Amino acid sequence: MTQTLFEWIDSKASASSRAIARRSSRRGFLGRLGSTIVGASLLPVLPVARADQQPPEEMGDPQSCDYWRYCALGGTLCTCCGGSVSTCPPGSEISPISWVGTCRNPVDDKDYLISYNDCCGKSTCSRCFCHRAERDKPVYFPSKANDILWCFGTESRSYHCTVAAVIGEVTS
Amino acid sequence: MRRSTHVLAGLLATATMQSIFAIEPEQVTLETLGQPQASWVVSHDVFGPRYVLDVASGEMVGMISTPAFTPALVDDPERQEIYAAESYFSRGTRGERNDVLTVYDYENFAVIDEIDIPDKIAALSFPQYLAMMDDGRHLAVFNLTPAMSVSIVDVEQRKFVSEISTPACSMIMPAPDRRFLQICADGKLQLIELDANGTEVKRSRSAVFFDLEEDPVFAKPIATPDGWLMLSYQGKVHEAAVNGDEIEFSTPWSLIDDDDFAAGWRPGGGQFKAYYAPMDLLFVLMNPGGEFSHDDPGTQVWIYNRSSQRRIARIELEAPGTNLHVSAGEDPLLTITGSDAQLHVYDVKTNTLLRSIGSVGVAPGLLQGFTVEGAR
Repeated sequence: MTQTLFEWIDSKASASSRAIARRSSRRGFLGRLGSTIVGASLLPVLPVARADQQPPEEMGDPQSCDYWRYCALGGTLCTCCGGSVSTCPPGSEISPISWVGTCRNPVDDKDYLISYNDCCGKSTCSRCFCHRAERDKPVYFPSKANDILWCFGTESRSYHCTVAAVIGEVTS
Repeated sequence: MRRSTHVLAGLLATATMQSIFAIEPEQVTLETLGQPQASWVVSHDVFGPRYVLDVASGEMVGMISTPAFTPALVDDPERQEIYAAESYFSRGTRGERNDVLTVYDYENFAVIDEIDIPDKIAALSFPQYLAMMDDGRHLAVFNLTPAMSVSIVDVEQRKFVSEISTPACSMIMPAPDRRFLQICADGKLQLIELDANGTEVKRSRSAVFFDLEEDPVFAKPIATPDGWLMLSYQGKVHEAAVNGDEIEFSTPWSLIDDDDFAAGWRPGGGQFKAYYAPMDLLFVLMNPGGEFSHDDPGTQVWIYNRSSQRRIARIELEAPGTNLHVSAGEDPLLTITGSDAQLHVYDVKTNTLLRSIGSVGVAPGLLQGFTVEGAR
């Protein structure tokens, strides 16, 4: 399918913000972000480990709020609504912007930046409600705030559920 | 023959009973409301409308049919009106978006007017996403796209006036002389002044009073007779007031002593604090979850005298609570939304549970009261 200009810009913005995130400390990264928002469309996740290594396994139940990636998620889990931890349910609309959390993977004991994208355009999927607030900030700092309906830049603002995709490892 | 006699006797008996005890035929009519009372609480069903209940009696008074994601209501006792910033889509969950400021009356909670506003309003429940200026005419609506701005609406002329850009600053806290404060991510307050037509004429910033990384203040300020009270994640009380052109702060104090802090007690929940002016009392939902528990339901309510900065009571809750409201009036009632989806009503003077009210939607969220004498 032909890539539209907007999709191309989105993918470039997404890649560059992820590259910044990998090179920076969390605080430095967020400082640079200021009031702008991470352009984190749900393209396939960048490799977390080097290509010659196997990615670490993940432990836990993605349908449970205790799952490690949900440390700063507020909403309902798409894993209970026909989607997965990083895919929106069928027929919904992926919010192109998101808030981010920093969560520790218990398997490799490393911190990862997690992009929490709302899936929009359908009625609220009232299953598997989850609200955790590790390093969550108030709404005047939106890029780290989960008390916001994040269906921005979508055709519909109707909230369906939320996914939690790994952006990359926090390297410092 | 014998059977038909019995039937006949039965029919005669029924006819006699009807003539003596018959209920008169009725016509269906409409109920109307009296003046709002201090004990009326507006309970927002999280994905639905607002149930108005008299928590003194436990009875429902009426309903305000706001759509899902209407952040807050503001009422005006002089105009006898209620204002709500609302988003609508032409096809329910999809279609063209249209944001309006809807005007409801006191008499029926019926829609009596609509003012078109920019399609940018913030969605989730925060009381200070909507506020009336002290001129009683200009209403400010907080927008989040996620760029931040404020729409000014003239409710007297029934028209949208202007949109004010407020990067990295949120909430609307009215101040004297047609001004309002906002909380900003740089740790300062922003003061914006409007002219008589509702257009911005001046803005300034305070000194830094909190650190976003170390201990941010919640975006849930509450009004006091002196200004605005803000709490930090770690339980520090910050109070701010506008004096002339200056934004002044009181010396911060802590809700939590060292032992309780070490035991993990922190403030948290949804709209988790309230203030009762006649007795200068501050009510805060507290939980023992430690760091990052600032959105968790509280298991206790701690009550403080604000001026003496002393805790005077701890109430162990019937069920963990997320939002609370204290009614105005001589006999304050504390209403809490429980994790059991009920409203729990406590008598403040005796700290006892008066009643629990169920069936108030799927999950009760933000609680608000009406502006009655002594309410604000």
